[in-house]
Amino acid sequence: MPTFDQHLQEKTGISPENAAILTEGLRTGLIKKGEFLSRQGDVCDYTFFVETGLLRAYTLDEQGKEHIIQFAPEGWLISDRSSAYFNEPSDFFIEAIEDSEVVFLDPAFNDRASAISTNYRHFNNLALQNHIRHLQKRINLLLGATAEARYLDFIKTYPDLTLRVPQWMIASFLGITPEGLSRVRKELARKNFKPGRS
Amino acid sequence: MNTKNIASVIAPPAHHFVGDGFRVHNFIPGTYPLSMQRMSPFIMLDYNSKHYFSPTDTPRGVGVHPHRGFETVTIAYRGKVAHHDSTGNHGVIGEGDVQWMTAASGILHKEYHEKEFAKAGGDFQMVQLWVNLPAIAKMTPPKYQPITNEEMGRHELPDNGGFIEVISGQYLNIKGPAETFTSVNLQNAKLNKGGKAKFSFPARYNTALLVIEGEIIVNGNNRVPLNHFGLFENEGEEFIIEALENSVVLILSGDPIREPIAAHGPFVMNSREELIQAFEDYNVGKFGYLED
Repeated sequence: MPTFDQHLQEKTGISPENAAILTEGLRTGLIKKGEFLSRQGDVCDYTFFVETGLLRAYTLDEQGKEHIIQFAPEGWLISDRSSAYFNEPSDFFIEAIEDSEVVFLDPAFNDRASAISTNYRHFNNLALQNHIRHLQKRINLLLGATAEARYLDFIKTYPDLTLRVPQWMIASFLGITPEGLSRVRKELARKNFKPGRS
Repeated sequence: MNTKNIASVIAPPAHHFVGDGFRVHNFIPGTYPLSMQRMSPFIMLDYNSKHYFSPTDTPRGVGVHPHRGFETVTIAYRGKVAHHDSTGNHGVIGEGDVQWMTAASGILHKEYHEKEFAKAGGDFQMVQLWVNLPAIAKMTPPKYQPITNEEMGRHELPDNGGFIEVISGQYLNIKGPAETFTSVNLQNAKLNKGGKAKFSFPARYNTALLVIEGEIIVNGNNRVPLNHFGLFENEGEEFIIEALENSVVLILSGDPIREPIAAHGPFVMNSREELIQAFEDYNVGKFGYLED
């Protein structure tokens, strides 16, 4: 699990020795495109770290329409917290949208890592605050921002996903229609495209 | 002049689909030892070996996607491709024709089987090449050269041996119509059985061939069968190919661009920062807009 090892050492400041102790025995899995790690209604207490590939979490509304909550490309974590931390059935499906290698982190992983390393404790606290900050921002954008503002925030968060996922998935994440997304991109091109520039 | 020898003959790797219209074997850069650095200025070569596509009312192909930092060269051996790009160009690459698209600072395009071809179904055979641009040309405006078969340079070989079509570069005194930024030779040897052709390129040029039809022998000692790729050493200048049956051979030889390569997906730049910039520019519409 080279990406997870690097994540632990570079992002969380864990020493190579402690990283080796923490990753010992962790389960990894190869998830094919279209396969699920967890389904709505399951109780799944793992958090998934994406080594390679791309996952998404989505929910189905009463009309059977998909709403994408989160994408998780390489180096990202994804979980359903109701399920992972509160032992309640999950609201979400977690699905691979590319063939993906995934590290399964059990609920006690954070406790073990925090016990072994103060650096990790600080990192984890900050990561949690950052995650909540992003969720706050996402709620705010969904409630009141224009489609263009939501799209501009999306490309900042996920710079290469516009080339990896179909338009309808991006539209679903943004809470707009695919036609609405096309209008946004067309309008941005109208403002920013300077033909013949060099 | 010394003989330029074959370094290796490479079998076509397993195919994959690009979109639903291109069933390709990726030789460069996915097949050892054909890395971008080894093959520069040829940094990607996808070969759609002859494949029958059934009739359909919905043309197969690849939807809108961007490119920056290089040129795409599509050589249509069988079948026809319709294309559109964000600078307003559109057209059909007919059988035997070539499209030389300089993506440079950025372009969006889409490529589909031409409508009537798709409707009738038929054999489809193409090469798509990416030719790298030197750093100085990577951010120049995009441009587009459609090259019909009639416009190509043509050298008749003696003794009813066949002929050489020159897309770019030069064969003896015959020049190809494509304008290039560095020295790039792209030529089709269309040989009758027993036909021979001699080629000469500087030793340092990265040189290779791909057998599109038939089977050949190189320098009298290396057989290169159908759909196989022959890589030459960077020593010696001259080689001779001889057709064991009626054959079509794509010859590639170019002056390597000795600059750092930073490649991700459809962007090929010189540094990671330039790649990040490419994604940002694409995302905010600086490549223009093209309807899917």
